Amino acid sequence: MTILATDELSRSFPRVTALDRLTISVGPGVTGLVGANGAGKSTLIKILLGLLEPSGGNAQVLGMDVRTRGAEIRRVVGYMPEHDCLPPDLSATEFTVHMARMSGLPRTAARERAADVLRHVGLYEERYRVMGGYSTGMKQRVKLAQALVHDPQAVFLDEPTNGLDPQGRDEMLALIRRIGAEFGISVLVTSHLLGELERICDHVVVIDGGRLLRSSAIAEFTQATETVTVEVEEGQEALASRLAERGESVTADGRTLLVRVRAPETYDALRDAVADLDLCLIRLEQGRRRIEDVFKEPADV
Amino acid sequence: MSESLPAPPSSAPASAPAGVIHDIGYRHYDGPRLSRGHATLALTVHSLRGVFGLGRTVRAKIIPFALFGIMMLPAVVSIAMMAMLKERGMAYSQYTVIMQAIPAIFLASQSPYTVAPDLRFRVLPLYLSRPVTIRDYVSAKLAAMTAALFLLLAVPLTVLFVGELVVDMPGPAQTSEYLASLAGAAGHAVLLAALGVAIASFTPRRGLGVAAVIAFYLLSSGVSGALVGMMESVGDDAAAAWAWLISPFFVVDAAIHVGVFGLDPAADSYPGGFGVAAAILIMLGLIALSVTALILRYRKAASR
Repeated sequence: MTILATDELSRSFPRVTALDRLTISVGPGVTGLVGANGAGKSTLIKILLGLLEPSGGNAQVLGMDVRTRGAEIRRVVGYMPEHDCLPPDLSATEFTVHMARMSGLPRTAARERAADVLRHVGLYEERYRVMGGYSTGMKQRVKLAQALVHDPQAVFLDEPTNGLDPQGRDEMLALIRRIGAEFGISVLVTSHLLGELERICDHVVVIDGGRLLRSSAIAEFTQATETVTVEVEEGQEALASRLAERGESVTADGRTLLVRVRAPETYDALRDAVADLDLCLIRLEQGRRRIEDVFKEPADV
Repeated sequence: MSESLPAPPSSAPASAPAGVIHDIGYRHYDGPRLSRGHATLALTVHSLRGVFGLGRTVRAKIIPFALFGIMMLPAVVSIAMMAMLKERGMAYSQYTVIMQAIPAIFLASQSPYTVAPDLRFRVLPLYLSRPVTIRDYVSAKLAAMTAALFLLLAVPLTVLFVGELVVDMPGPAQTSEYLASLAGAAGHAVLLAALGVAIASFTPRRGLGVAAVIAFYLLSSGVSGALVGMMESVGDDAAAAWAWLISPFFVVDAAIHVGVFGLDPAADSYPGGFGVAAAILIMLGLIALSVTALILRYRKAASR
């Protein structure tokens, strides 16, 4: 099943070309849309919502054409904008109920859904207070709640981690992961940080200057690279030579050792070597290539 | 994900499962999804409540309800006059025009509330990412302000009419005058709401919106009054009659009360014959112009 698909989609403004013959296809689950500021992410979302007319090409959301069936798309899709969008003199509950009714939910259903969804995003007693006094983290949660309140089939989240501190960022990312995995709502989430999408996405699309750079499943980006990183307190040389004796290939990398994994037995050899030498093990982790590394390589790798 | 939060022991004994909140996970919604019309109506009611400060802070209720109270005073006084002196106070059709400062202040203070916060706090994209269109949004806001003004103008008239029936004045009840004045109130509400919301929509700042609407009222009635005075002093009564039509309050009076129902004018005189058609055309033209300006304004706001 395809959640959204674009075909040679273009959009030019009087002075810039925001999208340039972009062809992508996105399936269910969490999809990251990555690009620098001005890469065309927000333009793409506006076109997908049927709010902006494409200059050329086609786009479909849940099988509906954005040019002709915009209203139907907006009925079953949620949108969380990048910017602030909350009136400060309403409480989160009042606001979310109102937004549910704007999506066509009857009054009672709107109240129930708003209460449910605010609980899911992690707003409890504070939801009865006016939003003017909310922290950025709470505001982001209400913005997410209003995008989910009508139980959409897909949500478009524009830079949901913007302005959050590291802990708030982690919580928001965990929440987005839950929306995709547990709630069964497909997510298109934009960010200019590859690293944070790595943790929550099934699929990543990278655009730059309105053009597709790469579109791949996350597993392809971050497959294990057959190395394991070891850090010990002291006795690094002893460990390296012991492992070399056992036939493992070891390279020193600053304070850490990179050990090539030939077979599962490599892990046993490593464990035994550390135990025999009575070393103090600080860190042992699977070497993963990060998404950033992938994009430093040519796209056809 | 079936984590459960036990309630405080004081409120529920351990044996009572009713005191335990179960997280039953995410539930999908499969109930009805109503049409755009319902959403537009919900937005209208939401905005109308907001105009009177309902669902907002106490401070937001002071101005609309104080103005409402002042608007009721002549009706109360008139009822008292009818009861004690058997004498009529204010005429139905002249009520709005005589009290025009009050609806004008109401319009200036409340119409920015209907549009400015959505622009300033950028709530508009959230509306537009839902099935409602720009047209629906604009009509909901106009309908809310129109309904608010109609309530402000029609409730005192209705109270006055009920008072007249209860007091049982000698002679027949002025039912047709009352109904004509309700039509006038509707005309005033539509024209004023269209002008006020259109002017207010051009700035995201409420204070500026209030100032702009009040400036428009003062300018139009000031220019109208000055021209009338000038023309009367040089003895040109025909030109003075036309000058009244510059004020939005008198133009509705000339079009509906005098033109359609043939009641006495609230001003000295309006242009006759062709002048009636002109008054109706000016009124409709101003409404059309305001609505067009609003739609264009929001097309531009939406494309950003």
